[in-house]
Amino acid sequence: MHHLSLYFHFVKLRIRSQMEYRLSFVFDLFSQASVSVIDFFMIALLFDRFKELAGWSLWEVGFLYGMIGICFAVAEMMGRGFDVFQRNVVRGDFDTMLVRPLGTFYQVFSNEFLLRRVGRIAQALVVFLVANSQLTITWSFAKVGYLLISLVSGTCFFIGLFVIGATSCFWTVQSIEIINIFTNGGVFMGSYPFGIYRWWFRHFFTFIVDPENKFTFFEIYVSLYDYDLFNRFAQMRA
Amino acid sequence: MKSLFLTFHVYLAFARKSFQRRMQYRVANLAGLTTNFFFLLVHIFVYTAFYAARTDPQPLNLNEIITYFVLCQVFFMLMPFWGARSEVTSAIKDGSVSLQLTKPVDFHAYWLADECGRACYYLLMRGLPTFLISILFFEVAMPRQPTALMAFIVSMTLAALMSAAITITIFSSAFWTLDTTGISGLSYSIITLFSGMLVPIALWPEWLAHTAEWLPFAGLIDVPFSIYLSKITGAAVWIAIGKQMVWTLFFMGLGRVLLSRGFSRLVIQGG
Repeated sequence: MHHLSLYFHFVKLRIRSQMEYRLSFVFDLFSQASVSVIDFFMIALLFDRFKELAGWSLWEVGFLYGMIGICFAVAEMMGRGFDVFQRNVVRGDFDTMLVRPLGTFYQVFSNEFLLRRVGRIAQALVVFLVANSQLTITWSFAKVGYLLISLVSGTCFFIGLFVIGATSCFWTVQSIEIINIFTNGGVFMGSYPFGIYRWWFRHFFTFIVDPENKFTFFEIYVSLYDYDLFNRFAQMRA
Repeated sequence: MKSLFLTFHVYLAFARKSFQRRMQYRVANLAGLTTNFFFLLVHIFVYTAFYAARTDPQPLNLNEIITYFVLCQVFFMLMPFWGARSEVTSAIKDGSVSLQLTKPVDFHAYWLADECGRACYYLLMRGLPTFLISILFFEVAMPRQPTALMAFIVSMTLAALMSAAITITIFSSAFWTLDTTGISGLSYSIITLFSGMLVPIALWPEWLAHTAEWLPFAGLIDVPFSIYLSKITGAAVWIAIGKQMVWTLFFMGLGRVLLSRGFSRLVIQGG
C-alpha cells in the first residue's frame, strides 16, 4: 500500500516536471497523435481502394487497431522507465538506485511516466469507439469484463517486452534494437487480422514469442467473442 | 583550382569519417537488417491479402508492389526520419557545437558531408544486403530498360541529397527549440504520408495524389521508385527529376539560412 501511494506521488512529480516545458509538451502531444492518425488514415486509404481485407471491413480492422493501439500507448506511458533504462546503466545512474531502500524493479518502473502518450491513447480510443459505433456489437457485462481484461493483459504484455529489452543492456550496454520488432512491429502487425500472415510467421509470434497468446492474438479472441467472427475465422484458417 | 580540390578533399574526409564511425556497430546493423525484413514481410502479407480479393487491374500489380516495398526497405535508412538523432541536437543543447564551429569549414557543408557518409554506409551495409536477400525470396522486378535504371540512379541520388538537406533543416530548428522531438515527430508524419512510404501514391484517391504532386516529399520515395518500375517514362522523367532538383536546392538554401540565423543567436546567447 505504501508502495502504491509512493508510486502515485512519483507520477505526480513526473507530470509536474513535464509540464514545466508546456509548449514542448503540447507540440509533442500533437506530433505523436499526428503520427498515429496518419497510420490509420493509410489503412483507410487502402480500404477505400480494396474495400475488404480477407473478409474484414475497415471498421473491423479499426477495432483491432484501436485495441492494440490503446494497449501499446498505455504501456509506453507507464513503462517508459524501462525504455530509457540503458541510459541509466551507461551513465551509472543505476548505481544510485542500488543503494536506495526500495526494489530496483519498482524504482525503474516509477522512474518515468510519459504523459504525452495521452495523444496516442486518445487517437486509438477514438478509432476504437468509432469502430464500435459502426459495428453492431451487443455489449454485455461479461463482454465488457473480457474487454477490460484483454486491455490490461495486453498492456502488461508490452511492458514485459520493454523489461526484456531493458535487461539485455546488462550484457550489451546498448539495449538491443531488435526488440522493436516485437513492440512497434507488433503493433503494426497486430493492427491487421492475423489470418493474412503465412503460417510460419503466425506461429512464430503465437507459439515461440508468446505461448500464452496474449499478443496479437489476444485481441482477435476478443473480436471473436465480442463480434461473432467464428465463421470468418474458420475460413481464414482453412 | 588547387584550393577547390583541397576543399573537396576536406569534406570527403569528413564523409569518410562518418562512414567509418558507423562501421563500428556491426551487431546493431544486423539487428537493423532483421527489422527491415520484418517490416517488409508484414507489408507484403498485407498487400497480398488486399490483392487476393480483387481481380480487376490495379495501377500497380502485386509484383510491382512487392518491388516497391523492397526498395522502400533498401533505402529506408536514407530517408529523413532520423531528425531526433541525439548526438547532433545534444551538441546544440550542451554547447559543444561551439567547439565544432571553431573548425575552419563551412558548417552546412560539414553536416552535409557527414550525412553523405552516413548515406553511403547504409546503402552499402544495409541497402545492398536487403536487396540481394530479397531477390532470393521474392519476385523483385528489375528495371525494364537500361535508361530507366540510369534515370533511377540519378533520381535516387537526388532523393538522398534532399533527405540530407531536410535532416539538416530539422536539426537547425534545435537552435530555437533545443529539443527536436516535437518537430521531427511532426515532420515524420508529414513525410511518411506524402512520400508514399506506407501506400504508393498510385493507389491513392485522385484528390490526395494531386496534393502530393505539389509537395516535395514524393521525390523521396514515390518518384524514384516509379521511375524504377517504368511508371514514369519519356519526357515525364525529366520533369520529375527537374522538380526534385528544385526542391533539393530549396531545402539546401533553407538549411543554410536557418543555420546562419541560428549561429547569430548562439553568439548572442554565449555573450
